[in-house]
Amino acid sequence: MPDLIDGSENISVHGIFNWIFLLAIFSIITVIGNYIGYKHPISDSLVGMGILSVITLLGVWMERKLPFNISSIIYISVMGIILAFPAMPTSEFVSYYVSKVELMSIVTVFLAYVGIGMGKSWNEFKTLGLRAIIITILVIASTYLGSAIVAHIVLVMTGVPV
Amino acid sequence: MGIISKKDNSTNEIQHIYRQKTDKRILKKNPWRDYRLHFTILVLVIIAMFIGPIEIEITKGVTVSIMPLLYTMVLGLVFYLAKSITWIERKQSRVAEGAMMLFIGILIAKLAVSSGQSMHLLFEMGPALMLQELGHLATILIALPVALLLGFKRETIGMTNSIGREPEVAVVVDKYGFNSPESRGIFALFIVGTMIGTIFISFLTSICVSVLPLHPFAFAMASGVGSASMNAASLGPTLAAFPALKTQIEAFAGFSNLLSFSVGIYIVIFLALPLTEKLYYLLEPKIGRKSVVNQEGDE
Repeated sequence: MPDLIDGSENISVHGIFNWIFLLAIFSIITVIGNYIGYKHPISDSLVGMGILSVITLLGVWMERKLPFNISSIIYISVMGIILAFPAMPTSEFVSYYVSKVELMSIVTVFLAYVGIGMGKSWNEFKTLGLRAIIITILVIASTYLGSAIVAHIVLVMTGVPV
Repeated sequence: MGIISKKDNSTNEIQHIYRQKTDKRILKKNPWRDYRLHFTILVLVIIAMFIGPIEIEITKGVTVSIMPLLYTMVLGLVFYLAKSITWIERKQSRVAEGAMMLFIGILIAKLAVSSGQSMHLLFEMGPALMLQELGHLATILIALPVALLLGFKRETIGMTNSIGREPEVAVVVDKYGFNSPESRGIFALFIVGTMIGTIFISFLTSICVSVLPLHPFAFAMASGVGSASMNAASLGPTLAAFPALKTQIEAFAGFSNLLSFSVGIYIVIFLALPLTEKLYYLLEPKIGRKSVVNQEGDE
């Protein structure tokens, strides 16, 4: 957890290049996985990943450069929603190419990084013991089910067809 | 007055977590130079994609599907822990974690594009989306009594108020202080959740979609309860179960995740934490056990 505190705020040209290179690497790996797993043409999914990378890059850049204290996740979500909104001229282009990149291809690559990244916490995890594991499982299960059941009840009450 | 300043502090801190982690790892080094890390990940992804999803039928009608996303995550962890693999060490782990913070953006962007295409759904199903956030409070009623029975004291308040991802950790640390038992509780939840949460929610979802007769969109909304990786792991089995509703399910997961991130924090601050405290003081004298925390060692 101490990792959370103390970060640098300066962003240089050099930093932006690091982001671009990382996004390029991520895109290439995802496109290869997307081709093997789902047989989508490489050229289409490369364009799709390019669109997603640009949105991400703009989002993280805006978070650091704009004076508002808003997380990049919000910027990225709003940009993605606006670009794909059916009334927008960009909608058809963005929706077509992004749909060529399966969500699961992105996630498979993403979680490979997560797996390696969480290795650091392994020792802390081992010392926590069974009690903490039981509670964690209960917390996740009840949050998930609580959310699903409430959503279901409201959906049925507001008459949304299955 | 007190409440207002508290609120401001915690939101500041929450929104800086991602930024600081990313900047620290990415801006100071050249993470793309670590080609062996990225090449290893490429190999993991290729292996996972070739194997594809595996479905295991536990009993009649109950299937657990294991998605490629779990193979890459578990293999990544195994590669880090394996002594014989010398090119994935602590340094690579830090680079991977920093890179991951940036790659969350790609995941969010993909969900947002699906959300944008299905914007009309938001207006039709807004009430369900908003109210399911309140469903998160179920954890307090179920997990808190068990934590007390297991012998946790004030750690319980940190452990059972919410699913305990980065934003909630920041809220609790801000409210109770870094070295408080409440914060120790949520750190424990955070670490265990990081290690097993993604795998667990994937299994939980695949069992739920085959057993519970709930609305497909309800599963989609519930998948957004936790972190981005948990969201993704939960979406896998949901998409596999309802392939015809792909875009809508992705859209709801995107909306729900956005909502957890923006509104969820305030639900934790103004509803979940006060409720957890109330229930703790109500139940602790009745079912609380002797504290176990000292025997397990303080941090």
